[in-house]
Amino acid sequence: MKRIITLTVNGEPVEGAVEPNRTLLSFLREDLGLTGAKHGCGLGDCGACTVILDGKPVNSCLVLAVQADGREVLTIEGLADNGKLHPIQEAFIETGAIQCGFCSPGMILSAKALLDESPKPTETEIRTAISGNLCRCTGYQKIVEAILAAAGTAQGKEVS
Amino acid sequence: MSEFRVLNTRAARLDAPAKATGRAKYADDLAMPGMLYGAILQSPLAHAKILNIDTSKARKFPGIRAVVTAKEAGLVKYGVSPARYDETLYAHEKVRYVGDEIAAVAAVDPATAQEALDLIKVDYEELPAVFDMFEAMKEGAPQIHDEFPGNMNAEVHQEFGDTEAALAACDLVVHHTFLNKRQDAAFIEPHACVAVFDLDGKLTLHTSTQVPHYVMRTVAMVLQIPVGNVRVVKPYVGGGFGPKCEATPLEMSAALLARHTGKPVKITYSREQVFLHSRARHQFYAEMSLGVKQDGTMVALKNKAILDGGAYTSFGIATVYYSGSLLGGPYKLKAMKYDGQRVYTNKPACGAQRGHGGVAHRAAFEQLLDMAAEKLGFDPVEMRLRNIMTRGDMTINELDMSSLGMKECVEAVRDVSSWETKKGKLPKGKGIGMACGFFVSGAGYPIYRSDTYHSTVVIKLSEDGGIATVLTGSAEIGQGSDTTMAMIAAETLGIPLENVRVVSGDTDLAVDLGAYSSRQTLMTGHATKEAAEQLRGQIAAVLAETMGCDPSSITFRDGVVLFDGGPGNFEKLRSLYIKEHRGWTDPPGGEYLTFREAARLAYLKLGSMVGTGKYKPPRLGGSYKGAAVGTSPAYGCSAQVVEVTVDLETGQITVDRMTDAHDCGLAINKTQVEGQMHGSLSMGLGECLFEEVKFDSRGRVLNPSLGEYRIPTALDMPNVDTILVESNEPNGPYGAKEVGEGAIMPTIPAILNAVYDATGVRITELPCSSERLYMAMKAQEKK
Amino acid sequence: MLLPKFEYHEPTTLEEALRLLSELGGNAKVLAGGTDVLVRMKQKIDKPSHVISIARVPGLDAITPRDRHGVTVGSGVTAADLARHELIRDRFTPLALAAGRLGAPMIRNRATIGGNLVNARPAADFPPACMVLNAILKLKSAHDEREVPVNGFFRGPGDALIEPHELLVSINFETPPPWSGGSYVKLGARKTLEISMVNVAALVTLESADGPITAARIALGAVAPTPVRAYAAEELLVGKQPSEELFQQAGETGVGMCSPITDHRGTMEYRCMMIEVLTKRALRLAVEQARAWRP
Repeated sequence: MKRIITLTVNGEPVEGAVEPNRTLLSFLREDLGLTGAKHGCGLGDCGACTVILDGKPVNSCLVLAVQADGREVLTIEGLADNGKLHPIQEAFIETGAIQCGFCSPGMILSAKALLDESPKPTETEIRTAISGNLCRCTGYQKIVEAILAAAGTAQGKEVS
Repeated sequence: MSEFRVLNTRAARLDAPAKATGRAKYADDLAMPGMLYGAILQSPLAHAKILNIDTSKARKFPGIRAVVTAKEAGLVKYGVSPARYDETLYAHEKVRYVGDEIAAVAAVDPATAQEALDLIKVDYEELPAVFDMFEAMKEGAPQIHDEFPGNMNAEVHQEFGDTEAALAACDLVVHHTFLNKRQDAAFIEPHACVAVFDLDGKLTLHTSTQVPHYVMRTVAMVLQIPVGNVRVVKPYVGGGFGPKCEATPLEMSAALLARHTGKPVKITYSREQVFLHSRARHQFYAEMSLGVKQDGTMVALKNKAILDGGAYTSFGIATVYYSGSLLGGPYKLKAMKYDGQRVYTNKPACGAQRGHGGVAHRAAFEQLLDMAAEKLGFDPVEMRLRNIMTRGDMTINELDMSSLGMKECVEAVRDVSSWETKKGKLPKGKGIGMACGFFVSGAGYPIYRSDTYHSTVVIKLSEDGGIATVLTGSAEIGQGSDTTMAMIAAETLGIPLENVRVVSGDTDLAVDLGAYSSRQTLMTGHATKEAAEQLRGQIAAVLAETMGCDPSSITFRDGVVLFDGGPGNFEKLRSLYIKEHRGWTDPPGGEYLTFREAARLAYLKLGSMVGTGKYKPPRLGGSYKGAAVGTSPAYGCSAQVVEVTVDLETGQITVDRMTDAHDCGLAINKTQVEGQMHGSLSMGLGECLFEEVKFDSRGRVLNPSLGEYRIPTALDMPNVDTILVESNEPNGPYGAKEVGEGAIMPTIPAILNAVYDATGVRITELPCSSERLYMAMKAQEKK
Repeated sequence: MLLPKFEYHEPTTLEEALRLLSELGGNAKVLAGGTDVLVRMKQKIDKPSHVISIARVPGLDAITPRDRHGVTVGSGVTAADLARHELIRDRFTPLALAAGRLGAPMIRNRATIGGNLVNARPAADFPPACMVLNAILKLKSAHDEREVPVNGFFRGPGDALIEPHELLVSINFETPPPWSGGSYVKLGARKTLEISMVNVAALVTLESADGPITAARIALGAVAPTPVRAYAAEELLVGKQPSEELFQQAGETGVGMCSPITDHRGTMEYRCMMIEVLTKRALRLAVEQARAWRP
């Protein structure tokens, strides 16, 4: 039987009727058209479906849509502010951290969660924070550089 | 300073903003009104006769719109290489591996489609199966294809010079055997596609592929649709690395179901199905002997290969040739003998993967080189430099190294890694190793015999003249080909990169063989350059006529026109343009005539502003059997140094540092070239240390997940010191050649040579897991 | 990947949760973080007709220090919360370290200590850590409540001493005595996202900073159908001055307590040898921490 859920997605209230066996990933992609979160494995192994749930990055393929009832979800589509890209997004573009782009939404959201908690992370902290987001294209180096660069940007803003 | 305005920079990728914001659409992101969902029934048995297929229950299941089997699909044989078409869309008489496709259904939603699969009743008579390539070659082994006795799928025997005589005359002959493991490409995006027929019977297939062109041909052939009625459109693709280089049962099933239902049909592979479809790296067994002279000169190489092909051919014919042909360089040899065999087994078919056919044998060869160097008392770097080929050299199997910065690569990694202060001087448990490799910049010939152009490109200008759109069939799969083509077009037209757009990956736009064998930059690059030159020529001709000057005095740069290097007297042209465009918000200004104004003028004279370009390589290679495989207009090459720490108590390897130099001819985009290098090394590291697709005793994949099939995480991959070498390839557009595959060649042997340096143990089997290394160290102690 | 159909329940009080469990018992699965249950359901290993989410039951996600005596950890506390909790890192180190090595960050944000214990996988990260800390598990049902020591809780792969109508509500840990230190080490192929080939937790108490060992506990994972305590190795350590040789001996003794299997992650032979090495290392780290003990 379908259940009615209400949640906040990218700052907007959303209501949906879902079967309990639907995942948050499938709800976001199919019901809301937010296809930025990707389906890579379905088992929480790859991180392509990462979204931020109540401030924490999670594999949305391992969260039921009904579990997100009343909670706050941020997807990659909600990261830019009125069309202005988030510094992490800008850094990913500038640094060449994106190749095929399939891991990028999850990667960027994991980076965002990290910088929210720890604005000046070390390289090891960055690598640990994205260690559940698999990337087969980049060897991670430019992704790490991008996050370091974004952390620099964030600080620059605080100073000015 | 470089004379280029756009090329050789670090321009941001064209598609990066779409990908950073989640706007980029991949095949599984597509939805269409009335779309149905397909699912494929796959064999649970590795080898069995199909006695009967009963689909009646599934057909009656509510929500099911179509069920198809071999009866509906027909029995057209297909494959990659016309020499070995050995697959039908659905198995009809027997199944040959766990995962062999039997039927497909279309339903109103994915859950219904899955449920209906369970209602299809297949009666099997199980047959004995064979999973090991050596077993499969034995007399009395189960026969997988009647047409191929002894399960021998393909054999190659090549010899250049008199190898036995050359070896006999050597001062030292070293031997090595090497066994890698079946790999999975582990791209993060599983295959997905949406097929839709229009009312005229024209099929459009939106699919996650590297090769829209080949998919178009194969789907047309198998479904018996005129080729002109098939359009393949590639949305963004989440990585390919080889296995997305051929038409899949997924694509053909979606098309067939769309035809049967009259509705769009989407099918997506689960991660497990990606493993079952496979078409990834073969398992190779290599047996190799290298003969050298006392002074370190390499003389002769004997190379034997056995490949576990799985149940079908896929790319396998090319693979078994590549394992031999890609050892011809980058070292000079007087003689080389190669014997390769590809064997059928009851496992998913193997195909092409990054460094196609070359990776395992390169790994064996580069270890052998180190072994020879050690016995002769040479430093591995010195040993390589003594034998290295340079620009203009021809390999013994007649591959033309029209440019080759191999020596520069070796010297660069030696210096940047501080090799000389480390080699032989590190404490036990720490090691340093190096290796080299090279790879084609596009296969010299198409997969099917044809005089086709390998690439055609159309560049079209917008009505105002300001925007150039590159129309190409090339496949942006993450490697950055769209950006590369845009940069080449911008450079050639003399306009800023932001004024170029690219529409790609669509078979209706142009011909392009696709993203495989590292061919897009060189081949599509040539066609793009030619199209841009043609367009530029048209504009220049009109300008010259109007201005009464010689076309050769006109140049385009940074979006403006120079006459004899200066602004020229263009006032009349400007007022004409402005008069035509009253009310437009962006009137041209500045002290030079803009490209936009010039192009508009040309349009008023000529109508459509379109330039076309094309490319196919000249006749390449020798005349011996199989000489075509390995040919290319150019070869990229690389050298790597790897430093490792081995935990001597557990055998765990940590790769501490990698130094990589790659000769890409000219780096069209430096950031993208580095990205290809990093990605190649990461994949090589995974293959060396972790990756192995494992099977149980009944031929089922044991680890069909990204949890148990382990690719490197951000914590496993170190930073790479990345050095670009640019040898200016005469056969490449603006001197450019490949980077996407050559860069993986040295990685495995460089790591294994470093492990040897750290432990004194030679590893002969991959993956070099902690257990394998630990056990090898124990065995060595006992000796 | 699709989940099978099920009925979903989301109790908001403990009583309601327990009542649902007593009614639905064997047909129900308790959903906490979902990182194990949902995976098994997607793989069609588990097909419960009811799923009871305990996410909205108040109090299960609390870490509650009890004066100087110990700490109570709710069964719904996530690995991420344990890994970064100061008291847990300081006094219950094996627990924090095990929490930090479980899966990857996104998994740690969801996976709970309760789920990890109840699932009783032989290679799980939390069990050895809880075993050396002598954790006591509090199980509740609609009409009853009992306390079960973690040592003895595991009966076999996927099998623990908990009834279908019972819920693990919290785990109690006594604070180890002064001059205690603990550790958790794990061997997998990659540096993260790994299922252990072998894992070892250790807790060592010294008489003083440079004194002999007065108590020791060692637990080994992925080496038998259940994680095991290496009691003989522990005994061997007591009363002796810590040394590499002693740790080595303890490792050798530890191997005798195990019956590892050969599977696609590693062979029995290699696992045995790694038990030795990892035990030695775990003890070394535990002693280092014990010596640095501060009140």
